[in-house]
Amino acid sequence: MTDTHAAGQHRGTEPVLSVRRLVKRFGAITAIDDVSLDIYPGEVLGVIGDNGAGKSTFLSLLSGYHHPDAGEFYYRGTRARITSPARSRRELGIEMVYQDLAMSPDLTVWQNLFLGEERRRLRLFLDRRGMRAQAREVLERMRTKIRPDDLASELSGGERQLVAVARGVLFDRDIILLDEPTAAVSVAKADDVLDTVRELHAHGKTVILISHRLEDVLAVCTRIAVFVTGRLEHVVPNDGLTVADLVHLMFGSRAGRPGRPASQ
Amino acid sequence: MRLTTHAGSAARKGAEPADRWAVPRRLTRLVLGREGSVRRPVAFLVAAVIIATIITPDFIRPSNLGSLLVDSSFLVVISVGEAFVIVVGSIDLGVESLLASFGMILAWLTVFHAVPTGLALLVTLAGALLVGLFVGFLVARVHIPSFVVTLGVYWGFRGIALLANGGQYISPDSVSPARPFGFAAIAGSSAGVSNLIIVAFGVVVAGQVVLSLTPFGLWLKSIGSNEQAARRAGLRADLLKMSVFAISAVLAALAGIMFTAWQGSIYPDSATGYSLEAIAAVILGGVPFTGGRGTVVGAALGALLIGVINDLIVLLGLPALYEYIFVAVVLVVAGLQARGSVFVK
Repeated sequence: MTDTHAAGQHRGTEPVLSVRRLVKRFGAITAIDDVSLDIYPGEVLGVIGDNGAGKSTFLSLLSGYHHPDAGEFYYRGTRARITSPARSRRELGIEMVYQDLAMSPDLTVWQNLFLGEERRRLRLFLDRRGMRAQAREVLERMRTKIRPDDLASELSGGERQLVAVARGVLFDRDIILLDEPTAAVSVAKADDVLDTVRELHAHGKTVILISHRLEDVLAVCTRIAVFVTGRLEHVVPNDGLTVADLVHLMFGSRAGRPGRPASQ
Repeated sequence: MRLTTHAGSAARKGAEPADRWAVPRRLTRLVLGREGSVRRPVAFLVAAVIIATIITPDFIRPSNLGSLLVDSSFLVVISVGEAFVIVVGSIDLGVESLLASFGMILAWLTVFHAVPTGLALLVTLAGALLVGLFVGFLVARVHIPSFVVTLGVYWGFRGIALLANGGQYISPDSVSPARPFGFAAIAGSSAGVSNLIIVAFGVVVAGQVVLSLTPFGLWLKSIGSNEQAARRAGLRADLLKMSVFAISAVLAALAGIMFTAWQGSIYPDSATGYSLEAIAAVILGGVPFTGGRGTVVGAALGALLIGVINDLIVLLGLPALYEYIFVAVVLVVAGLQARGSVFVK
């Protein structure tokens, strides 16, 4: 993982977020093992790896849902602490879209969108009208048919995905983390999700995307990070890569592609 | 999701003459609204009042309705607290014992120890607050199911109520010369309306405002709806859960104060059965047992519905034990409507 950081295209750009020597253990298992990585503004970083390679854990550390056992975060060059989801979102502008798209099914779309960051009137009360209007505006801007007063339980997987991303757009977050965004939606809708990622990219957002579907990663990512059993083994720019190349990076010699040297 | 599926299937089936339930189903939906809607307890209560008036016209007399509201005020107040607990998906079995024990403690302080009324009221409510926070702590942080913790409260605080005066009641006459309750005015009346009704009404309005107009209320619903989503949104689920038990305990103590003032004495076995009645009231009020939605007003209406049943039993001169059977029948009906009966899904 030395020459493969592929920072070349970002030379001279300050990373929006850096992690240094991150370690996370769950009991005897080291889920994240000494990971260092720079994330640059406006890039779409794909994170791939086999099951249990630490991809989701890595994102949950960035989102503040889990706390690392060791290691440091730097936000725009300054040491930062990510101690809670609220802090990750509000101070570092990181919005996490979870794989299971968990929402409060009994609440409406606008209530879910603003949950934990409600707009208020007179400090004490919900500014329901204001939040509804703002939710409607963002949902229309994202060209969805979702209405603010729809119940979350009435949404399809694809729509829930859009609402989760809409949260990032609504609060103008810099970094959007997507954990398997195409896993919970139908194959037909997967392209819509990828379009959403492209749109976020076009609007200058930084996106970190975990996916099992390597063709999706190749389709939208500018750079790809490969995790193997908790370690960040490769970071490669996405130019001219194929699915076979990614499989090879993920499984190394085990995948056994004769005639191609291991990249390390 | 269930609702849309249902609406879709109803529309589709409506086209077929074979489905004779389509029209009643749609009508019921129109009257009762969706799950958790306050329209359901309103419909139940209106039906109960009409039936009661038909059975015995005495029911609708203003004096009877007035005493019905006064008699129900204690249950209304604790049902509001219970509604908060059930909205987050927990349960509080201890409210009746808190009502009795804090009523006893208040009487014990003021009658036996001549503690000034204001201070005694403050101690009573603050004590209940601490108890509620501790209960909430055991539920939210120690992860003991609320059923178990509050079952402990149910037994433990009934015990404290019994201990307060060696199992005996306390009234102003328990000492000589008698020390009248300084807080008796709570059971008095203002402009012809009982203060108990005014207090209960205020609690309901305040509770509803908190639940539906403040971020706090929204957070509680989100925890009952999907706790993990709430945590990921950065909500302090533990503190929020603790707070509902605190609300429930304080309202139980308030009901204890009201009860003591109204009765002019307090017995250690006062309010027996109120916990389950409060839970029944909340369910009748359309709050799903799993939490996530519902209204405080609905829970209060559920409490009034139980009050109507009690009142009817008295008016008809039936033995009080019939109440249990009637409440059971109404509960089954309420459970059916919440579950999705033949008509309403």
